[in-house]
Amino acid sequence: MTSAVDREPGAPSDVDLMLGIQSGDADALSQLYDRYSGIMKALILRIIHNETEADDLLQEVFMEIWNQAKNFSAEKGKALGWMVTLTRRRAIDALRKKQAYARAEERLQAEPERQPLAWVENATEKDIEAGDTRVLMAKVINSLPEAQQQVIELAFFQGMSQREIAFHTNVPLGTVKTRLELGLKKIYEGLKELRDEL
Amino acid sequence: MSFEEFQNCARLYVIGALEPEELQDFEAARKQYGPAAEDFINQCYGLHEAFALSLKPAKASNAIKDKLMSMVRERGQGQSGPRSA
Repeated sequence: MTSAVDREPGAPSDVDLMLGIQSGDADALSQLYDRYSGIMKALILRIIHNETEADDLLQEVFMEIWNQAKNFSAEKGKALGWMVTLTRRRAIDALRKKQAYARAEERLQAEPERQPLAWVENATEKDIEAGDTRVLMAKVINSLPEAQQQVIELAFFQGMSQREIAFHTNVPLGTVKTRLELGLKKIYEGLKELRDEL
Repeated sequence: MSFEEFQNCARLYVIGALEPEELQDFEAARKQYGPAAEDFINQCYGLHEAFALSLKPAKASNAIKDKLMSMVRERGQGQSGPRSA
């Protein structure tokens, strides 16, 4: 798999685009933006829950991709993984810096039912047969018990520590750890199976 | 720490969910298991990709892209490529 999303036949791979950016090719950044801005924005929105802030941060993230492309190495991992790590870190930093944490938490509490379900966009058998990566990953995540989905949501999308999750959910620390470990293991194994199939 | 315990910790580590007091044992096991540990940690970073790919893409603004590309091209005129560290 050279690109995590569908691309036109003959279109450059993610690595080609990253190499282009490393050599100062602005068009390579433009193509990378077209390919991944939707996913990056969804990730940012999931963390900071604010459309305007998400747009600003998306621009900052792609500027950082341009500036930090030299730190990307295809041997160490995939371009999308590198970009997601960078985006998540920036979004969680922004969440904390702007002291929006409490507000986001209030929104989370106001919409407790929506959060786990938002991961899954009604995956149908037809979608799954079509091999859509997003649908397959969503299906893996949705197959987790809700309690595991919740702790993973708080850890990954809200950047909470195990202790913060325990406090937030009023669940013992040991239980939080077990739920996180089991949930992440299942997602990891699902991801591995998906990669083996592709 | 067994390798299975190390694997559990590694998955927490890559998403930043390992508690400070767990880090010391994790780093010791990381050294103990050497290249196998590093390979596993690298694979675990795929979890980030998995979470992102599970989300429905959002509509990204064309105006943001125009502004970004304008900034990049402006900077590009003064230098040959992305900034050096």
